[in-house]
Amino acid sequence: MTDETQDLPEGPDAAARPRVGVDEWVERVAGGSEAGWQGALRARLERVPLWSKPIAFVLPLGLFPFFTGSDYWMQVGIDTLLFMLLALGLNVAVGWAGLLDLGYIAFYGFGAYGFAFLASGHFGLHWDGQWVIPIVVAATVLLGFLVGLPSRRLVGDYLAIVTLFFLQLFLTILLNADRLSIPFKGQVDFTRGPNGISDVDQLTLFGWRLDSLDDYFYIALAAFALVFVGLAFVNDSRTGRAWRSLREDSLAAELMSMPVNRLKLLAFAFGAGVAGLAGTIFSASQGSVFPANFDVTALITLYAMVILGGFGSLSGVAVGAIVINLALELLRTPEKASWIFFGLLLLTLPFVIRPLGRWLAVAVGTVVFGFVVRALSEQFWERGVEGTTPGLARIDRIVDGWVLVPADPDGLAKVGYLTLVAGVLGLTLLKGWWRTAAFVPVLYLAACVWENVMVGQPAVARYILIGAMLVALMASRPQGLFGTARVEIV
Amino acid sequence: MKRATTVLGLALLVAASIAATAIARPAQGTGLTAAEAINCRGASLGFAGPLTGPAAFLGQEQISWSRFAVLQYNKQFKTSYKIVQGDTQLSASLARTVGRQFVSNPNVLGVIGPSTSQAVISSAGLFKNAKLAAVSGSATRTDLTTKGKFPTFFRVVPNDFVQSPSIVNFAVTKLKAKKVVVIDSQDDYSTALSKGVAYRFRLKKVQVTTESVAATDTDFSSLVTNIGNDVQVVVFATQTAAAAQTLSQQLREQGKRAVVLGTDGAYSPGVFKPRNGYVSSFAPDIRLVRGGAAIVKAYNAFSKNKTFGTFGPPSYMATWVLMTAITTACRDGAATRAEVTANVKRTNLPSILGGQVRFTAKGDVAGAKFYVFKITNGKYTLAG
Amino acid sequence: MDWEKLVQIIVNGTTLGSVYALVALGFSMVYGILKLLNFAHGDVLMVGAFIGWGVLGRLGGSLDPTVPVVLLIALMMVASMIGGGFLGVAIERFAYRPLRNAPRIAPLISALGVSFFLQNTVLLLWGADFRSYDTFDLVDPFTGLHVGVLNVWIIRLVVIASAFTMMLGLYALVKKTKLGKAMQATAFDREAAAMMGIDVDKVIVKTFFIGSALAGAAGVLVGLVFGQINHFMGFNYGLKGFTAAVVGGIGSIPGAMFGGLFIGLAEAFAAGYISNTFKDVIVFSILIAVMILRPSGLFGKAAVSKV
Repeated sequence: MTDETQDLPEGPDAAARPRVGVDEWVERVAGGSEAGWQGALRARLERVPLWSKPIAFVLPLGLFPFFTGSDYWMQVGIDTLLFMLLALGLNVAVGWAGLLDLGYIAFYGFGAYGFAFLASGHFGLHWDGQWVIPIVVAATVLLGFLVGLPSRRLVGDYLAIVTLFFLQLFLTILLNADRLSIPFKGQVDFTRGPNGISDVDQLTLFGWRLDSLDDYFYIALAAFALVFVGLAFVNDSRTGRAWRSLREDSLAAELMSMPVNRLKLLAFAFGAGVAGLAGTIFSASQGSVFPANFDVTALITLYAMVILGGFGSLSGVAVGAIVINLALELLRTPEKASWIFFGLLLLTLPFVIRPLGRWLAVAVGTVVFGFVVRALSEQFWERGVEGTTPGLARIDRIVDGWVLVPADPDGLAKVGYLTLVAGVLGLTLLKGWWRTAAFVPVLYLAACVWENVMVGQPAVARYILIGAMLVALMASRPQGLFGTARVEIV
Repeated sequence: MKRATTVLGLALLVAASIAATAIARPAQGTGLTAAEAINCRGASLGFAGPLTGPAAFLGQEQISWSRFAVLQYNKQFKTSYKIVQGDTQLSASLARTVGRQFVSNPNVLGVIGPSTSQAVISSAGLFKNAKLAAVSGSATRTDLTTKGKFPTFFRVVPNDFVQSPSIVNFAVTKLKAKKVVVIDSQDDYSTALSKGVAYRFRLKKVQVTTESVAATDTDFSSLVTNIGNDVQVVVFATQTAAAAQTLSQQLREQGKRAVVLGTDGAYSPGVFKPRNGYVSSFAPDIRLVRGGAAIVKAYNAFSKNKTFGTFGPPSYMATWVLMTAITTACRDGAATRAEVTANVKRTNLPSILGGQVRFTAKGDVAGAKFYVFKITNGKYTLAG
Repeated sequence: MDWEKLVQIIVNGTTLGSVYALVALGFSMVYGILKLLNFAHGDVLMVGAFIGWGVLGRLGGSLDPTVPVVLLIALMMVASMIGGGFLGVAIERFAYRPLRNAPRIAPLISALGVSFFLQNTVLLLWGADFRSYDTFDLVDPFTGLHVGVLNVWIIRLVVIASAFTMMLGLYALVKKTKLGKAMQATAFDREAAAMMGIDVDKVIVKTFFIGSALAGAAGVLVGLVFGQINHFMGFNYGLKGFTAAVVGGIGSIPGAMFGGLFIGLAEAFAAGYISNTFKDVIVFSILIAVMILRPSGLFGKAAVSKV
């Protein structure tokens, strides 16, 4: 007889259990699988008619220039619009067709340089925008086809690698093609190398010359709206459905006689074309184009936008682009960075510590804890309160009296930072009340580290936050804000 | 009906968020026109340089020295200037955004930088329109000033047109070079410089081979293998002193006779310290200049002994030039950017690197001269 | 025929190749088991290099080391291997394990995030300056193999020898020990291995530890032979190590070793005989050609997917 009190082995924890999700069709048709007001909101959002989505973007964005007279914010607006456009294009390859394209920025660069070749002093050609843009977009589409050709034989990860290397190849060529030795012609300067092409013409469309930031803003907005609507139609079409089938299970799709290879090429081509269009506008609005504009950092930022928004969803990636670009911009200056940091904490933590009551307890507890620690430090460790934070925002002034600000942080900075990382990781391992209690010192430590170490170097700190955000997002909600939870059939 | 309200709700939501952003920033209104004066109390300097990314060492060194300058100046003249950071990250489009940010910030009365020639090209046009002075400590591409496109751009370091002849002259006359290799590092600084150097070498009938290394390269072994034993000098145009050090070490490792002559970007006594080498610099070593040692000591106290090379002290000078110009303009209580720019044009200050800082009509520093230092076992001595 | 140049180029290529092979091994092992491209691997190398530099500084620095040189180098390697290993384990535990059953793109993005995070953390805490190992102060450049005119610095030999030893050790581990068998089984079919009683989680942790330890060691070797390290160096080595793993056949250990040497030699030959300017272009073109002509790499098995 077996001993009935024998211990059964522990069940797998949540991460190891097979993930239960729905496939996209079920999600769309049955809908609303999330509880609470988030689920209701999401269900509502998914039911809006198609035509409302572009309007929801275009209307407020169109009014944006009237809210601000500042050139700086107009530039930020143009940059954001271009990123939104890029995000839409990347969404086609990655989100709809499930092809991991890590060389996407190369198409952007190709479009930008293409425009520069045809409308600048470099080759002496000064063609009008209405000719240059279609030509460049067509050329980029062709390039997309060519890059997509290896994808026919490559699966998932291999494709990622090849496209990444294509990007590196493209960058190296851009950087070095100013001293190509062609037989019979000698040295040829093809791309002007690292000096870039700095006399790119303004965009001229049908005689109308765009020369102010507002003009470029509206052109970018128009391009975005057009592409959005166009892609939305494609998504609803047979091609869109074919892409979805390719993404969900490419083998089954092939068995169902989907022209899988052609679909992959088409996805690449669409994405490339959109990037080419964005590239031309970029080149014209900047008036110059350099190889350094198209590096891996831009690629990762673009991916962060698409992932945050939820790939597969057009409006999702557009929202993701807006959020990330604005956050990056605001995080760049010490005067505003702290607002974003503390705002982020306040916004996201209620989703981590539920219910709301518990979150309030943690918040109050952290504040009290902070004052207690500070009082103790004043008594026993004066160095801890001697310095001031380098932060310049009003909130930094307020918080200065609450966090520990040691006089010469150096070594302490490293220790504090690493302890914070360990603390945050440890938090993910705890459960229940232990976890809630542990939040208090970790949050306080986070505020201290931010005020002492990170706020003085906002340019670096924001990339740390982006990196951490990507990891946290993937661990908790891989489908992003607006995507649908997918289960991959292996 | 339901759908319409949903749509309306959605649109209002997005509109509200955009509006919130517009309101959340401090009340700025339009960017300053050149004629508007502002209260001097909040005067700041914008710093445009690469603070992150592969060239971070450049921007970080410069901003450290600029901060040091602001501290010293504020202490000495009882002012309260501040620095507004703008990370350009080596990206010209970011430089442009940073440029716009500075132009629309009414407190910014001058810009330190931009650090790289690319960034100057993309943002100095904006500064020109706003009559905002930009003084750079490291952008050396010749045509930034000679073409006259950027009348509000100044630099406290001589441009490539001055450096190439002095390098070539030194190599030919002092080092008796008959065969040289010129290496660049594929960025806007080094390619312009190496082209000029190679051209001048050829004029003097010296045999030149040009090579190039990528900015991220750390191994030059195979390039070194290709350098014959009959090559006397390897001119290395780079902004990374560490690369110059690696190159000279690998030359020694493979028993080559050639000696490395680094351009001014390689000047960094803490990093580029070969057994035998040369480096060019637009200034005598600050540690050797009268009064320089005191400044170095003060800087070491400020920065906790951070190593520095050539990029820091010029950034200090650029900051000082701007602050002096702003203080002069503020004497009557309010200053405009045009006033500050005019004052920068008239600068005549003692330089911490010796001599005086004055600008030519085009914006270059007057009296530019290049010095070549001989390095023996890491010790720098003036050679020519 | 310039023999000296040829031999020198081969030596250069083998040095580079050994480092790439170490990085490629880590990639290959992780991919074999988890089907995950660990983009953060190059940054583990970077952290290993910094750990080695830290140890060097603690023990007196290159000019005046407090322990004999051989012991110093050994200590640096051990410290970076342990540090790198634990870093790898931490990355697996917190960034990849929650995503075991998520769509394939999720751990990739997580890896990108980790890479970003590591690079900028080092930048934040240790600054942007290049740090030097000053190996020439530690070991004179004329110590080494002298054959005729040829000089092979002993540090290069150390790099090649250490890398080969570690690779052979790894090969022995995988083929001869129980852990190795478990790793092979998990790589072949994770669920079946679990059903056979293999603790898959533990195997994965050990794989990450070993792979990341190799990367850490590679970081120290890079610092020793090339001298300069900075926060951004991981990107380039990661990319090349990546290339090597793919060319050799990802998931295959002899493939990674071969791929590393192949890429290192290709780079050295391209730089030595064609042009240093375009050596990267040539290497990437080789990779793309291999991918198109033989997608599973030179030693890899053609992927057969069971439907």
